[in-house]
Order: sequence, then structure tokens, then C-alpha cells
Amino acid sequence: MNFELIGHLVRLRYKLLWAKTRSRNGRIALFMVCYLLLVVLVALFVSGGFAAALVAVRTGKAELVAQAVLSGLYVEAVVAAVILGFGVNAIFSEAQLRRYPLKAQERRVARHLIGILDPFWFLILALELGLVVGLYVSSDASFWLGLIAVLLLLISNYLLARVVALLVERLMQRKSGGAVLLSAIVCLGFLPAILRPVLQGHRGAIVALLHVLSYTPPFAAAATMTRTDLAAFSGLLLQVWWLLGLAAALVALERRPPPRPRAAQTTAISWDTPYDRLAAFFGPRLGPLMAHWLRFYMRNNRFRTIYALALPIAAMLIFAMGRGMGRRSLAGSPFAAALTAFAVLGCMGTAQFSVNQFGYVAGGFRRFFLLPVQPAAVLRAGSYTFMLMSSLLILVGTLLFVLFSPFPFDARMLIMLVGAAVASLFVFLGLGLWTTLFGPRCCDYYNNFGNDLSAAGNTVVIGGMLALILGPRLIARTWPAALAPDKWWVAIPVVLLAAVFYFSSLERAGAMLLARREKLLAIVEGRG
Amino acid sequence: MDAIRIRDLVKKYGKVTAVEGLSLAVEPGTMFGFLGPNGSGKSTTIGCLTGLLDPTAGQIEILGQRFDAESAAIKRRMGVMPETLGLFDPLYAHEFLAFVARMYGLDETTTRRRVTELLDALELTDTSKTLRDYSTGMRKRVAFAAAVIHSPEVLFLDEPFESIDPAGVALMKQWLRQFTEQGRTVFMTSHVLETVERFCHQVAIITTPGKLVWQGDVTVLANDGAISHDGQEFRALEPLFLHLTGQRYADLNWL
Repeated sequence: MNFELIGHLVRLRYKLLWAKTRSRNGRIALFMVCYLLLVVLVALFVSGGFAAALVAVRTGKAELVAQAVLSGLYVEAVVAAVILGFGVNAIFSEAQLRRYPLKAQERRVARHLIGILDPFWFLILALELGLVVGLYVSSDASFWLGLIAVLLLLISNYLLARVVALLVERLMQRKSGGAVLLSAIVCLGFLPAILRPVLQGHRGAIVALLHVLSYTPPFAAAATMTRTDLAAFSGLLLQVWWLLGLAAALVALERRPPPRPRAAQTTAISWDTPYDRLAAFFGPRLGPLMAHWLRFYMRNNRFRTIYALALPIAAMLIFAMGRGMGRRSLAGSPFAAALTAFAVLGCMGTAQFSVNQFGYVAGGFRRFFLLPVQPAAVLRAGSYTFMLMSSLLILVGTLLFVLFSPFPFDARMLIMLVGAAVASLFVFLGLGLWTTLFGPRCCDYYNNFGNDLSAAGNTVVIGGMLALILGPRLIARTWPAALAPDKWWVAIPVVLLAAVFYFSSLERAGAMLLARREKLLAIVEGRG
Repeated sequence: MDAIRIRDLVKKYGKVTAVEGLSLAVEPGTMFGFLGPNGSGKSTTIGCLTGLLDPTAGQIEILGQRFDAESAAIKRRMGVMPETLGLFDPLYAHEFLAFVARMYGLDETTTRRRVTELLDALELTDTSKTLRDYSTGMRKRVAFAAAVIHSPEVLFLDEPFESIDPAGVALMKQWLRQFTEQGRTVFMTSHVLETVERFCHQVAIITTPGKLVWQGDVTVLANDGAISHDGQEFRALEPLFLHLTGQRYADLNWL
């Protein structure tokens, strides 16, 4: 094993990270990582784990609390890695590593070593170490056993995230992969809400579930951390088995060739496509640009998946949040859940792409400045395309809500729901214009998953979604009267304000695009 | 009226000067070769001439009109094949060309006819592949087709023949000759000096940072003549280029 060369590659990964700080955006990102993430979050995570350990010991349920904390963290890490791409973004691809004198096994080790040294996994490790230290200080748990258990758990967590991410990627490369993934996510989303009543009534089911869970890595790690008898060692052994199994699965998956790219359905040239017909409504100046954007995004696997997910997620929010938020009344929680769902529906389908409109265009971006068209028209056409696509979602969502409404139909309520969706769409698209100009990122159009947005893009998308999920909930608790149907008129000024923000952003961002084009060219084409 | 006129063009990136006081003029109907070593500012100059970059100072006129990035009317009369080609990878060649043609205001019938003719002529008839799946040479052909589809009056080509097979190059050269014979202008960069020598009428050579060191007629070389410069006779473009830009020798014993 050529550890010297692998070491050089690991160092190169961090040199590249450091090199990014030479740009202004990079410095901001570094600031965020260093101060906000690494310092504050690590401190929070360590103290969080430590506190959990203290609670665990004091309540006399050390193993149970450790099991819950480690399992929650384990699942969250996999979900964050697969959905948001944290900790599994490839720094060096297999093809890039092939240029170095490394054997296949060494390339694999290099890739995964670089992957597990991602700051994301440090955060996970911080919380788990906090738990180990807390248990060691407040009980007779072994520090060294706990440390080994946590390190093994982290590696298995990384391996599982990689396996799931690879499975999702391979699935997305297949023809009906998007639909299969969509169904799986919907099923998983509804599962907790369906399982809860089943488990609540049957204690035997909980015991059986816990027995099955005792064979999972987090439970095994919890046993190693909290027990001092043979169970601690059997936990370690179980973790090692998991590690070997996951590593074997990952190697087998990586060795398996990816599915062949889909060939075109037909070789005949088609001139008059639905994209062209739809875009023709926007006139001869914007029409060709909108047809282009429609074609460009609708051909993107990830765009299609996220877009198709928006409606089921909205339904899931209504179902899950409505059930969990108390009594069923129009002015109360279920309506707040519906408001959240509609607000999310308004922007979710296109959010990831609207905050980085040019990021997926790569070398094609410069074409827009060579064409005899005002650059502002390009930005406007892209934004209108997202609006058109999201409007279709809102329309379908509204129709479905009218047909399957969980409460008696009230037209005033519908105005509020559509108002929430339209207002969130305007605000998101408005913010998206600014992040497109000031927080762009060069992204891979053909990546099927992962988080490739800039810090600004992530702030808008993740922060915006959190605000939309928590906002109506907060209003429902603090000022429930605001959600009563007789306050339907509030939707109108809210939508108007959002529209003013959007159209003024469109005007000003369009004027700025030309001035910022050199910086954008450098970033979008991967030189900045 | 010159087809292209540049006066005292300066382009700076922060403190770095990429083009320094470049002035030149290109007459209509000229095949103009724009040469220089790597990093001398050729692509930056083309970027300024096509609206991709803002000049720090100086003035550009295209077809007798002052040009800047917002000059949509002049852009309509220009064709550009940029260094990085400017293609949209997920599109099929016909979709990309039709998009470009429509943006230049061609009507639907003309668009479809020209796209079909260009695809046939440039042997881009494999419609099962998107631009991403095309070879470098095929991508270059598509970019060339996009530059000429609207019959521009001035054509800017950045390394047009690199990576294209000899048959493709011969076809493109034939079209470009016809193009200039009709009084239209080609402004191209290339590192293949033999091609420039035989193909271009006029040549400008710049050195780092974007300084013009020589401009003149090179048709004499194709007729076995010579170019006189600094009291020396040059019978080919390569020795002149090396003389002007400086020839470097480095002996690597281990190589």
C-alpha cells in the first residue's frame, strides 16, 4: 500500500480547500466553516453528547439513552449524506486518481480516506465523543472501549452512507429509477406516522423491534460504551462484522459497472416539441430562451426527481404535521400544516436550481453573452421558467387539495393556501436571482444527488424551508386567530409584497448581470 | 470603413494587464490571423471584441459602429466560435443550432433548412447523441456551425481547426474562403502557423501582455516571397513569429 502517495493526496485535498479561500466567496465559506461550524457546532455537539451522557447516567438508563442518541445520529448522518450530499461529495474521482501510480485498492483507500476526513464527519464524531467522555466521567464506563466503539461506528456510518448514496445514484441512472426512488421516499416519509399507532397499542411489537435493533451498529456501540461485561465485547464484535459487511458491499457496488447510458428513443429530428409550444406563449423574444431553459432543466435527472417529489412531500407534510399538532380545527394546527405544505410546494420543486440558475450551464454560459439579446432577458427567461414549473405544481396541488381536503371545503381557506404558495414562490425566486448573481457555484449537471450549492444557496434553500416549516407552526401556537378563515384577506397583501420583491429583484438583478458577467463566467466555467 | 477597428485597447484583471494599448484595423473581405504565444492576450482580445469582457480602456468598432457588450444589433451581424465553444451539453446538435438560429431571429423555415444543411455538411447526422457525448472534433464542428448559421458579416474564430479531422478542416477552409470572397471578414486565432501562412491574408502578432509587435500582409509567403523585418528576410511565418516573440531553449538532461 503506497501510503506516502495517499498521504500526498490527502494533503492536496486540504490544499485545494485552502486555495478556495483566495476568492472572496471562499473566504466567506472558510469563515462559516471555521467559526460557525467547527467552533460553535463542535462545542455544541460535544456538550450535547456530554449532557446526554449525564442524563443517561442520572436516569439510570445509560444504555437506552446511548442507543437513542447514537441511532438518531446514525440515521441523520446517512440522510444528510444521501439527500444533501454532506460528507460524500467526491473530491477526487476514480478517473482523476488513475493518473497517479496507484493500484486499484490504493485508489479506493485514498478516495475513502479523503471522504471520511470531511468536516461533516468530524461533527458527527464530536457528538459521539461527547457521549463517550460524559459516560466515562459520570459512570464506570471504559473510555478506551467507548473510543473504539465510536470510531468503528463512525466508519460504519460513513460506509453505509456511501453504499446508500451509490445505490441511489445507480438507481437514478436507470430509466424508471426516479419513480422508484420517489415511491421509496414517500413510503419512508409516511412510515413513522403509520407505525406510531401500531407500536403504541402493542408492547410486544416494541420489544420485537428493539430486539431487531440490538443487532444494528448504534446499539452495538451503545452496549460497548455502557457495559463492562462480555456484552461490551460482543458489541465490538458485532460492529466489526458490520464494518466488514458494509465494506464488502461497497467494494462490490463500486466494482459493478454502472448501467449504460440511455440511448435516445428515436433518431428522427423533432422540431416542434412541447417545450417550444409552451414557450411560444411568451412571445418571439423570450420564447426561444424559455424553451431552452425548459428543455435544459426537464432533461436533468435531479431536477425531475425533486420536482416530482414536491407534491408527495407536501401531502406528507399535511399528513404528518397535521396529525402531530393537536386537535383538528380549521383555525388550528391541521390548517397550519396545510399552509406549510402549500408554502413548501410553491418553491420546493425548483428551489435548488433557481438559486443557482447558471451553475449547471458550465461552458454554455458564455453563449448567452454572444447572442444578440440583452443578458437580463436570459435571467428573466430562466426565472419565468421556474415560475411556470412551480405554478403547475401549485395548480395540481390545489386541485388535489379541493378533491381530498382533510377539512370541509372553504373557499377562503383555499385563498390563504394558494396565497402562501404563491408568496413563497415569489420570495424564493426573488432570493434565487440574488444568489444566482452573488452566490453561484459551478455544478455538475449530470450529478444525480448531493449538495453542490454555495453557502448562500444553502442558506436560502435550507433556511427558507426551515422558515416555511416552522413559521406557520409558530403562528398557530402564538397567534392562532391569524390562521382563521375570516383572515383570508391577509393573503392578498402578503402576495402583493412578495410580488413587489420579486419583480424589483428581477429588474435590479437583470441590470447587474452584465456588470457581473466576468466574475460569473469564471465561477460557472469552473475557473473561479 | 474597416470591418474591425481597435484603438488603444487595454484590459486589466485587477493589477494584471492582459492587453496593453492594442490598436489594429481589419479591412472587409480579409482573412485575418491573430497570433501570439500562450497567455499573450489573444482570447482576452477576442473576448473584448465579442462582448464577453469589458475593456478597461480603448475603443472597439465593428462594421463602423461603436461596439460594447450591449450592442445587440451589431452582435446580430457577428458570428463567434469561442475558445471554450459555448455549448449546452444536454442538448442534441439540432436543438442547439435551432436555438442559436432562433435567437438570431431566423424564421422557422430558414432555421430548419439551415440546421439540416449544416448537420449534413459537417457530418453531424448522429442524432442519438447529445453534445456531451460528441468527440472534441464534433463539438468543434457544432460550435462552428453555430457561428455561421445566421450568415454573419464578421466571424470571430478562436482556434477553429484544432481537433478537427483533415476533411473537416478542408471543408471549413473552403467555406471561409467563399465567405471572404463575398466581402465578409474572418478574424481568427491559431497556433498552427503553416495554416495561417497559407490561409490568411493579413496577420497580427502580439506578445505578452497583449502588445502588437507586427501586422502585415502574408500572402507573399504563399507565392514564395519573403517578409522583410528588422533588416532580415523571412520566407515563412514561423521564423518571423519566433523572432518577434523570442525563441527559448531549455535542455532537460533527464528527458
